[in-house]
Amino acid sequence: MDLADKAVGLLLSGISLSVFTYYTFWVIILPFVDTDHFVHKYFLPQEYAILIPVFALVALLCFLCMFVGYVMLKSKKKKA
Amino acid sequence: MKHILKILALLVAISACWIGLLQVSVIPESYTWLLPLYFIVSLGCYGILMVGVGLMQFPTCPQEALLLHQDILEAKDFLKNKGVDVGSN
Repeated sequence: MDLADKAVGLLLSGISLSVFTYYTFWVIILPFVDTDHFVHKYFLPQEYAILIPVFALVALLCFLCMFVGYVMLKSKKKKA
Repeated sequence: MKHILKILALLVAISACWIGLLQVSVIPESYTWLLPLYFIVSLGCYGILMVGVGLMQFPTCPQEALLLHQDILEAKDFLKNKGVDVGSN
């Protein structure tokens, strides 16, 4: 049981570290590199560096609002 | 109420720093526009990292689990002798 916990923990830390390094590279280092360097192939166009986090934030906010609304509706139905 | 005021003051201070950074063009402007978003993403990453590290270092105490199982068996036997219905689950 603790092995599964360790595996999930390792997976989460790995995902977070890779996302952090990828995003740092994308936003900070890439604008300094000349446009015909080969490393630009591995990164999406720079507009996506803004779109993807904003989209994720908006999706998270929507999900939170829906969840809160759903819980409020369910509690009101149970009381009535 | 005071707590909300403190958080709002912190937010205003951070936005003032950001706008100041925009005016003083030490860093290229495109960077300054992306800086708040970068900090939000890195904060989320840091949160997930802390959760992952905490999961990996969670102590399970197998000896305590064994002792607890023995305690449960003892308690069940004791209660069954006294006539209480424990029912296995």
